[in-house]
Amino acid sequence: MARSKFIYVIYIRTTPEKCWKALTTPEFNRQFFYGTTQESKWKKGASWRLLKPDGEACDSGEVLEIEPLKRLVLKWRNESVPEMRKEGYSRMTCTIEKHGASVKLTIVHEMDKARSKLIESVSDGWPPILSSLKSLLETGKSLEETRHWPEEI
Amino acid sequence: MKKSQFVYVTYIKTTPEKLWSALTGEKFMNQYWFGCHCESQWTAGSSWKLVSGDGQILDAGEIVEADAPRRLVIRWQHQSKPELKAEGPSLCTIELETFGTAIKLSITHTIEREPSKLIEAVSGGWPKVISNLKSLLEYGSVALQDPYPNKNPYSGKE
Repeated sequence: MARSKFIYVIYIRTTPEKCWKALTTPEFNRQFFYGTTQESKWKKGASWRLLKPDGEACDSGEVLEIEPLKRLVLKWRNESVPEMRKEGYSRMTCTIEKHGASVKLTIVHEMDKARSKLIESVSDGWPPILSSLKSLLETGKSLEETRHWPEEI
Repeated sequence: MKKSQFVYVTYIKTTPEKLWSALTGEKFMNQYWFGCHCESQWTAGSSWKLVSGDGQILDAGEIVEADAPRRLVIRWQHQSKPELKAEGPSLCTIELETFGTAIKLSITHTIEREPSKLIEAVSGGWPKVISNLKSLLEYGSVALQDPYPNKNPYSGKE
């Protein structure tokens, strides 16, 4: 089947607990994810939304699998760009593994369609977000450029 | 033409000069590249080698382009594992771009064959090396001392 897939691996000097907390808690999300927060009850089957600072959802979906500190799988559809929204739901898998005194964080974001515009977009989006998360967890400060929702959008 | 490619992009809070110096400086490199260092004059046409801590030549080739502190292109052929050496030379392009107060570092590693065991290998290696480089420049210490800390001493598997 035609498929679009983006994979990103990053190693971070932190614990699985701190990494999981940063990924799922609004006060941390805002600092490395362009001011956005996630809204979810974080249980299998629960709805999931990624909210812009103004409260509107830019992406939405559902929690497909969740194993705290280790694995999160989301059904994920873009809500704000019509040609991406039309593509339907992608699958985002986030895994955290202990690697010595650090963690190995892996994101796999995929869609059952060739040349997906959503996957192309997140392929540009994930690296600065995850780099900023690493800076936040290691130095206490995220990358300045990822702290605010871009004005031109 | 058949092609295998690995692309890795990261963002590091540093200056282009410090990052270029870390990428091309012998002393700094062994801290983030698991004891390895590169030997090169870092000018177009000059030879290039990646040497392990115990002096083994792991990879060799030449500098194709060097435009400090923006772009480096290395012709890169693995030397120590025969099946990887047999694949022939790959091309590794390293680009540094300003991203506000940080630098966007892009690594594009390509070979004209599909599939490629070399590209599979560097797909595992680059995230470790570059994660270490980012930690060293931003925090002062690397993220990983050992590339395979979870390795089973009996099976050799991670």
